[in-house]
Amino acid sequence: MTGGASAADRAMAFDATSPRAPLGYSVYRRFIDGIWHVEGSLALAPGDSADDAFERLDPLFQQTGTTHDRAGDTLTFRKENQAAQDKMAVFDGGVLRIEQDAPGLMLRYRLASRALLFCFLAPFLFLAFAQTTIVLGKFEQARTAAKGKKPEVKKPPVVLNPIDKALGAPEPDPPKKKKKADEDDKKPSATPAYVFAGMFAALYVIGRVLEDRRIKALFRRRLLNA
Amino acid sequence: MNGVRVGKRIIGAQAPVIVGWENIPKVEGGPVKQIFFTWFQPTMLFALIAFWFYAPNSIAKASTAIGIGIGFKLLLLGLEWLAPRHESWRLTWKELTTDLFYVGIGFTVVRLIDSYIGDGAMIEAIQHAFDWEKFAWFTGLPLLVQALMISLVFDFGQYWMHRGMHNWHPLWLAHAPHHYITQLNVNKGAVGNPVELFLIGLGIGGFFDFVPRAALLAGAFGLAVGTYQHINVRFNSPRWWRFLFNTTEHHSVHHSQDFEASRSNYSNTWVIIDRLFGTCVDGEAELLGMEGGRPMSVRETMTYTFTEGWKSARERFGRRSMGPMASAPMVPAE
Repeated sequence: MTGGASAADRAMAFDATSPRAPLGYSVYRRFIDGIWHVEGSLALAPGDSADDAFERLDPLFQQTGTTHDRAGDTLTFRKENQAAQDKMAVFDGGVLRIEQDAPGLMLRYRLASRALLFCFLAPFLFLAFAQTTIVLGKFEQARTAAKGKKPEVKKPPVVLNPIDKALGAPEPDPPKKKKKADEDDKKPSATPAYVFAGMFAALYVIGRVLEDRRIKALFRRRLLNA
Repeated sequence: MNGVRVGKRIIGAQAPVIVGWENIPKVEGGPVKQIFFTWFQPTMLFALIAFWFYAPNSIAKASTAIGIGIGFKLLLLGLEWLAPRHESWRLTWKELTTDLFYVGIGFTVVRLIDSYIGDGAMIEAIQHAFDWEKFAWFTGLPLLVQALMISLVFDFGQYWMHRGMHNWHPLWLAHAPHHYITQLNVNKGAVGNPVELFLIGLGIGGFFDFVPRAALLAGAFGLAVGTYQHINVRFNSPRWWRFLFNTTEHHSVHHSQDFEASRSNYSNTWVIIDRLFGTCVDGEAELLGMEGGRPMSVRETMTYTFTEGWKSARERFGRRSMGPMASAPMVPAE
């Protein structure tokens, strides 16, 4: 499929990476925009033209849900509902441009990933869940205190079945009086939310590095080994 | 595609499904690999049962079960990476991250809501009406019998909830997002709308008073059998195993793009419940999902139940309020 990417997509391309870009803007590009954008460059095989390079990369843009548009030395693509096994599934759009550099022709690319942005924001979401759990826990504690202590349900003592005894299973502990800590155990804890916040922070760092390397390796394989 | 007749149904007429155990491929590779992938499942199940049966009281507790659960899933993720069943189900960073998001939602938001309106809260509300002496016979049963009963009762409830989801539109709206997954991986069981995660977690097990160790033993069945529903690893499951338990093969049929195939294998752990009620189809499928394999985004998964529910309600009740003319069919009836 071709023709789906707009002129606006092409406009988002590379001007800001030029050395003439103001300092504040390049800091923004690196630290804010860089959260969900992957940029890079690769030298083309000696003797290859822009047409050759785009022809070699073409199969990557023939995937389900991918639209692309080529105008001269620039290719713009967009992905929607990309398949899980699409090699570029993590990216939702981007621009690839062939430029003349000192050593020869270079492919420069800038790709956007909502998955990376989502993963970057996920820890904050889970921290918010943790705070909500704590606030609700305090509210519940106050409500329980106001209501007074519930009468304890009387349960018969547990006796192990003779078969289990013969097989050597340990006897169950005698029933103990409910402690406050036991009651607190039943309340939702904020710990899982903190664990997931940490997990997503780690996943973001891994994904930001891994996907950057993977896409570079993929382009390199296509450009040099085709 | 002609499909294969299974009972009164034609399976695989819309999308490829392999029907019959004899047609399912076996694990390929050397003798060590064959032995490993043949004995892994029973060994892990019996090891877990033995552990929970004999572990001292100081170890036999929920926190240990959580630790074992995490360790076991990490091991299975490793197996998926080393020996994937299908290359087309490979776990990518994006898939892993998305799956873990739903796991996280289940452990946080759904658990929080569950503490207010879930089965535990409901059972606690009516618990005081019980005469516990009447239930003493249950705690006096052998541990393994208690564990089997807990597991079977819970799975029986899940079977009917799941079957209801495939047969009653309001419940289907909660379950449908889960059927948009296009591959099976260890954490894919958690993928779905939070309403579904809440509904599927409801059970009546809390009504029974049991020896805590029996609950841990029942959990071993869930972990060492139920987990294999969603996994990208091929095992040579023994004949008795695939007769009793739900397997990846069974569940891949359930997730197939073939409509009739997707209306089978509803149980979570005990596929024998499906056999009893005539909904079991032995087989496997690789091509999974809905709408020809259209992936569903996280945003759509989270909102689908509500947006589609609103649309359906408006269609049903809005039309009624517009009078008899409005209910005239706009398209030819099937």
